[in-house]
Amino acid sequence: MTAVLSLRDYTLDYLTGSRPLRVLQDISLDIAPGEVLGLVGESGSGKSTLAWAIMRHLPKNARELSGSIRLGDTDLRGLSPRALTRIRGRRIGMVFQDPSTALNPTLTIGRQVTETLVNNRGLTRRAAWDLALELLGHVELRDPEALMRRYPHEISGGEKQRILIATAFGCRPELIVFDEPTTALDVITGARILDLFARLRAETGVAALYISHDLALVSRVADRVAVMKKGRLVEEAPAASIFARPAHEETRKLVAAVPRPEHRLVHDRPGDRVLLAAEAVSVRYARRRLFRPPPPPATHAVGFDIRAGEILGIVGESGSGKSSIARALTGLADFSGGIRFDGRPIGSVRDMDGAYRRAVQIVFQHPDGSLNPRQTVGEILSRPLKLFGTGPADLPAGNLAAEIGRLLEQVRLPAAYATRWPHQLSGGEKQRVAIARAFAAKPSLVICDEITAPLDVSVQASIIELLLSLRAETGAAYLFITHDINLIRQIAHRIAVMRRGELVDLLPIDAVDADHVHPYTRDLMAASPTPVG
Amino acid sequence: MTDLLRRLMRTPQGAIGLILLAVLTAACLFGPWLAPHDPEKMDFLGRFRPLGAQNWFGADQFGRDVLSRLLVGARSTLPMALAATLLGTVAGAVVGTASAYLGGRWDEAIMRTIDAVMAVPGLLLALLLVSTLGNGAGNAMIAIAVTFAPGMARVTRAVALTVRGQDYVKSATVRGESASWIIFREMLPNVMAPVVIEATIRVSFAVMLFATLSFLGLGAQPPASEWGLMVAEARHYVHQAPWIIIAPSLAIAMTAIAFNLLGDGLRDAMNPRDER
Repeated sequence: MTAVLSLRDYTLDYLTGSRPLRVLQDISLDIAPGEVLGLVGESGSGKSTLAWAIMRHLPKNARELSGSIRLGDTDLRGLSPRALTRIRGRRIGMVFQDPSTALNPTLTIGRQVTETLVNNRGLTRRAAWDLALELLGHVELRDPEALMRRYPHEISGGEKQRILIATAFGCRPELIVFDEPTTALDVITGARILDLFARLRAETGVAALYISHDLALVSRVADRVAVMKKGRLVEEAPAASIFARPAHEETRKLVAAVPRPEHRLVHDRPGDRVLLAAEAVSVRYARRRLFRPPPPPATHAVGFDIRAGEILGIVGESGSGKSSIARALTGLADFSGGIRFDGRPIGSVRDMDGAYRRAVQIVFQHPDGSLNPRQTVGEILSRPLKLFGTGPADLPAGNLAAEIGRLLEQVRLPAAYATRWPHQLSGGEKQRVAIARAFAAKPSLVICDEITAPLDVSVQASIIELLLSLRAETGAAYLFITHDINLIRQIAHRIAVMRRGELVDLLPIDAVDADHVHPYTRDLMAASPTPVG
Repeated sequence: MTDLLRRLMRTPQGAIGLILLAVLTAACLFGPWLAPHDPEKMDFLGRFRPLGAQNWFGADQFGRDVLSRLLVGARSTLPMALAATLLGTVAGAVVGTASAYLGGRWDEAIMRTIDAVMAVPGLLLALLLVSTLGNGAGNAMIAIAVTFAPGMARVTRAVALTVRGQDYVKSATVRGESASWIIFREMLPNVMAPVVIEATIRVSFAVMLFATLSFLGLGAQPPASEWGLMVAEARHYVHQAPWIIIAPSLAIAMTAIAFNLLGDGLRDAMNPRDER
């Protein structure tokens, strides 16, 4: 039987300034009809470039040096742009990582789905509308009729991804390329999308290329798995065996970096002194308007405490109010209720003085956004030192530079990075700089708002290791917001579970599997993928 | 600075813009010495003399040499237009960024005031200001700056609003940085690129606005050879001697193009992400 997709010795360069950069090197792979090939690797290994090469949507500076890409018996490299538009959607579908940007915000869902079906299946508008209703109903969307008349901003991320998947399958392509389709979704929604994917695949028998950096997930959906490193395919094996018996060093590295809940990284117990106590904190965003009722609060009267040196995890699906808590504690959002820090009451943002702002630091999720692109690493790190006076007492230029060098070394970066710009650093390095900025203030509580979510497993593991060693050095407590259950079970002393703005559970780590937990907590634990290997 | 120039010369837009600008700067600095004739010397035998060896760009209705007038006039045209744009841009950028940072009621108050000012047509506002302040090039410059500032504030605010949502601004807020630090050091550098481009386009508007004011007798006064004034004076003779109007118009167009190209070049050169 001939393969649906077959690549032979495909090599691709990007022209960047002086010399070409090799992105893909001698890639050869086949996908048989009905087969799902999982593609894993670190970011920058060329996974997404490979997907775009198959879709024939490469940037202008890409140079294809050799090799062939064949879809069935069609050579994709030789096709004209006009012929390609007949292939895309019709014979190859694609589902993107971020469903919020994959739909046009100015058109209704119905219009977008039917238009795709009209173009790719040659249906009439009427027939396409009926088919769209059927497809949306088939992916377990409630009330497709009403949904079709809504705009993308009126529905949730999970619903958007379901619509995109339904549309991709509905065009009956031979191959669908999935580029991290669940990464932007929370655990429970992601798990449901995976079930849907498995069902649709069994029904239609379509072949798929499934790109992800989540090994557990790939081993669940794929028949075979290929591992990429620096543009090369280093290992290819059946999904059942590849992570259990990894042959290549890169695969072993990826498997070793996967967080395992039973493997605890923190063994000490925190002290009894309560560092921060939140009492009935509720956060409200929109301003009160004249003739409209005020919007519901993002969190309802949440109360918890953090002890000195403790790691408290906050988990929950997106929109559950996790980040709102972080925003209230740092004074970014107005809140009602009270915070007690080190015995001192803090009733509103105005009470947060220099001492509080020094002691409570936050590290944000996206390292790209949290560093000012127009300031060097040195300038970024010098601000907290000057502002809080935590640097050397007298601050001549030489001393400040030495202190910045020390901070950089503390987060395992060379001191020479002080002169670099943020865009010259990788995602993991940027996150290290952001951590160094937080620790420059000598804080007693660091809030980590999903700081590992945009990073690869291996980078993630090294960031966690860094945070734990910084905690050992400085005794800082962490409020760790995440949706990675496996990760938080490795490090947290206690876990707070949030749902729709309410705190449903606050448990010591060894009690999360107990019987008396909230049903939602049980769902959440069950939805998190079992680690591979 | 030299690094910025080097980056600028590497893009074709930047290079051409810089060369044109160098020509204009030379005219501003050395115009009177380069001019082949006295710009105000009348020659009644040579009225409307076409382009030729005697007058390279022809002569005007009084027989004055057009090229000489252009070269000398650069001095009274370009620095004024530049200064007006710069003043308007700086004021607008600061107000716009501050408005975006403060948000809420302050933002409403500032932006509604700006809307009210923008409701008055630019030329009318400039006329009103000049007639209040008194005639003359200096007052015309201030009037143009004030006319430009609200538009710049709007453009800047739009960019600054997205910057305000960035985590590095939040991080500065959480640190307890002062408002002026956040506005001037965290936000302004990141909104500069579109503002600079908008400003370079506005330089050509400033030249034209000056010309209009001069034409109405409120800006530069005849017999000055300010370019806009030259265009205004030449419009009666457009059928008889088109070169009198074409030459200063081309000079104004060249200025506009030079600044537009420079704007494009600067946008690329000022981006630290650009590694070329």
